[in-house]
Amino acid sequence: MPIEFKRSSAVFRDVVSVEEAEGLLEWLQRKPGAKVDLASCSHLHTANLQVLMTARPRLSGWPENAQLRAWLETALNPGA
Amino acid sequence: MTPLLEQFLSESREFSQGIGEKLMQMEDAPSDQGLINELFRLVHTLKGNSGLFTFPEMTRVLHAGEDLLGLVRNGQIAYSRELADRLLDAMDFVMVLCGDIETTERIDASRAQDSGRMAESLRALMPEAQTVQSDSATSSGKSPKPTQDAHAAELPPLAEVPEAMRIEALRQCHQGETLHWICYTPAPDCFFQGDDPFFSVRQTPGLLWGSAKPTEPLPPLAELDTYRCLLKFHLLTRASREELDEHYRYVPDQVRIVRVEPRWLSLSEDSSAESTQPVPAIPQGADGLANLLPAAPLQKIAEPSNSTADDKAAALESILSAQQQILMLDDRPDWGVGRLKAVGSVLLNLAKAAGDQVAASEVEAVLAECLATGQSSLLVLWLEASRDHLIASHAAPPGPPAPTPSNAAASPSKEPKESASETDADPAKPATDEAIKFGRRAEDNATGPRSLKVDQAKIDRLMNLIGELVVSKNALPYLAQRAEAHYGVRELSREIKGEYSVINRIADEMQDAIMQVRMMTVSFVFQRFPRMVRDISRKLGKEVQLVLEGEQTEADKNIIESLADPLIHIVRNSLDHGLETPEVRRACGKRETGTLTIRAAQEADRVVIEITDDGKGIDPAIIKRKAYEKGLIDEAALERIDDREAVNLIFAAGLSTAEVISDLSGRGVGMDVVRSAVQKINGTVVIESVLGKGTSIRISLPLSMAVTQVMIVESDGQLFGVPMDNVVETVRVPRSDLRAIKQSLTAVLRGRIVPLKALNTLLGISAGPRANSDDELAVLLVQAGGEVLGLLVDGFNETIGLIQKPLSGFLSGLSAYSGSALMGDGSVLMILNIREIV
Repeated sequence: MPIEFKRSSAVFRDVVSVEEAEGLLEWLQRKPGAKVDLASCSHLHTANLQVLMTARPRLSGWPENAQLRAWLETALNPGA
Repeated sequence: MTPLLEQFLSESREFSQGIGEKLMQMEDAPSDQGLINELFRLVHTLKGNSGLFTFPEMTRVLHAGEDLLGLVRNGQIAYSRELADRLLDAMDFVMVLCGDIETTERIDASRAQDSGRMAESLRALMPEAQTVQSDSATSSGKSPKPTQDAHAAELPPLAEVPEAMRIEALRQCHQGETLHWICYTPAPDCFFQGDDPFFSVRQTPGLLWGSAKPTEPLPPLAELDTYRCLLKFHLLTRASREELDEHYRYVPDQVRIVRVEPRWLSLSEDSSAESTQPVPAIPQGADGLANLLPAAPLQKIAEPSNSTADDKAAALESILSAQQQILMLDDRPDWGVGRLKAVGSVLLNLAKAAGDQVAASEVEAVLAECLATGQSSLLVLWLEASRDHLIASHAAPPGPPAPTPSNAAASPSKEPKESASETDADPAKPATDEAIKFGRRAEDNATGPRSLKVDQAKIDRLMNLIGELVVSKNALPYLAQRAEAHYGVRELSREIKGEYSVINRIADEMQDAIMQVRMMTVSFVFQRFPRMVRDISRKLGKEVQLVLEGEQTEADKNIIESLADPLIHIVRNSLDHGLETPEVRRACGKRETGTLTIRAAQEADRVVIEITDDGKGIDPAIIKRKAYEKGLIDEAALERIDDREAVNLIFAAGLSTAEVISDLSGRGVGMDVVRSAVQKINGTVVIESVLGKGTSIRISLPLSMAVTQVMIVESDGQLFGVPMDNVVETVRVPRSDLRAIKQSLTAVLRGRIVPLKALNTLLGISAGPRANSDDELAVLLVQAGGEVLGLLVDGFNETIGLIQKPLSGFLSGLSAYSGSALMGDGSVLMILNIREIV
């Protein structure tokens, strides 16, 4: 499973495809305060990106992939 | 060219052809659901196939066509001629692209515009709602694709680029790099097409910086539609325009690429409100900027480094040994320069990351020298020497260690493992994709074609060889005769004859088989007519129904090919002059839709093609008058010729009955060209017409040009061949029955007066015709140009089939002979050209 849903956090692994987006959205809608761990994620599909951008969950881990991390930093923290 | 690509090309041609045919059929049955389904399936398959390769230009047009047909299929829009026109145009375009691919194995990027226009024109036929949904990818929406120039005037929002990045970008600009700003707004429904815009954005070549933004305010989480793309991407890259066009070739209508002017970078810097410490002045040279680099602004966004010094040293160690290994490789000498550059830039980045300017300049110097000499040894030595120093300087960094987000990717010092796994993953992905697609193709090919394509030159060679075999085989009976007559060995003679009959049989069969290979169906010529008739009749405002019959009739390839031009002329003439406009037809009490029938059939050893229309027919009186006016016939002929002959006068040169000369016909050359083209391949053409009822043109052609049936005649001790096409009959006439009318000899045969001419006289041989013991003369009745004539010869020999060789070189001026052939005994037989000598 590219996304492992734990009690209060979702762990992204490797490449998270478009099929995961629906599940991610539902999960985040159910758990407003949940955290997302992207540390071992190497790529996530645009659909997932826009779910994260809409939901703005707290991140418990930034991607280890520096390029992805840079992207997510600008996308998820537009003000900073 | 790969076999797959070849297969694709031949299939595409077939499909385009099929699509064209189906569209024509739809004209007659616009509501035939079966046809629409078939049409949709063809376009869909073709589109799918084109997707296997990187031909987005083709895919885009086909995709638009598929969408359009989808709507027709669902009854949302009705089939119209307009629609068929555009689809046919699109198919023509696909054929053009196929041609491109065949010659260059790729589609030039310049086709992208045409492709966009083509797709646009197809989409324009769709109802509004559909257009918006599938085309509103960009803000430009349904309006024609805005030119990039118009956008170029609009300044990209460079202010959103972090300041440090802008300084880096400016530095690169001053180093001579050209930067581009890309605004990529994916189509909202792009996820359904399997696109991952974020992925392609991340793969953009030369990426410096990028950001993802919502195109509209994001909805509350509860209302978010996961499958609609709401994002757009802004990127700054140092890749060239070509690279970017190539990278985004699938979505040219969704990206905007603007070349970044260096001053924009500095301008936005000044106007940037958040800029806390303005850069004192715009540095003029690269040197000044290089000094600026490790300064304060970079530190601002430098990432906190959480790895320990030991981890770092180990990572560095592995990077450096990797570089060393790369330099040692010598498997591909032609990659040497590229490897040197790669290693050089890694070392340079390492040195810069450590803030070690001395090492950096050393690397540059050594690299330049290595590149100049083409030897990597210097760099290897430097690496050995500076290894420890580099590691040490990283362990205790004098400057900020971490690079900016963008060149973090370029300097592998931080994430050697990650970048390695990424490069590993990349080739793996397309590989699996490909495997899946190939699997599907394999299924398609399970019932693969059992025919093979052969170069015509190879068949021609076979043809020549069998010709020679036939000739040398014919030498055997002579040998048998000699064995008996000259050497007196009857037994041997009989055995040779026995062997001869076996070889004869095999050679005949072989010849037949090779002729079969050269056979083609007339559909090769016929298939272009539906489209042609449709186009021309629409242009002329006529309603024409085309009926094709006997498309499977076969004839030699050369015959079929030389048939194309005459047929086109005839069909054009029929459409232009023969068939009337619907109003006229209604006035005459005919059906509004005219019928044009093209029928092919085999009759004995000839192919007969009949083109019949139910138009207004030809008025023999007009033809006669015109021919007389043009001086083609004299007054006597005007009185004498009957209607049938008069109608056939239209084949004479310089006769046109059309009042106006159109771009289709009417210049008075058409039918003349038809006759000469048909005669060139030993065919005949006859026209029959009933005024007010229609016209029928009948072309009769030999099945094959390769073997000519020839009757051998003897005259003054020489043998000549007369083509059987010309021979009417052979008779022996008693000398007493000959009548002289003035200078010319005549005889009455079967109640007709037949003029007689001696072959010897015609060929300039002084000897007279020789009679046989009963004082009878041999008369060969031949027909030439519709007239029958008796040739006086000395005797008749057998009829043989032979392969005629045209006279070439100095002999080609001898119009009395149409060619020569080699006989079995090695002698040369001259074939008479009857039409020329009489």
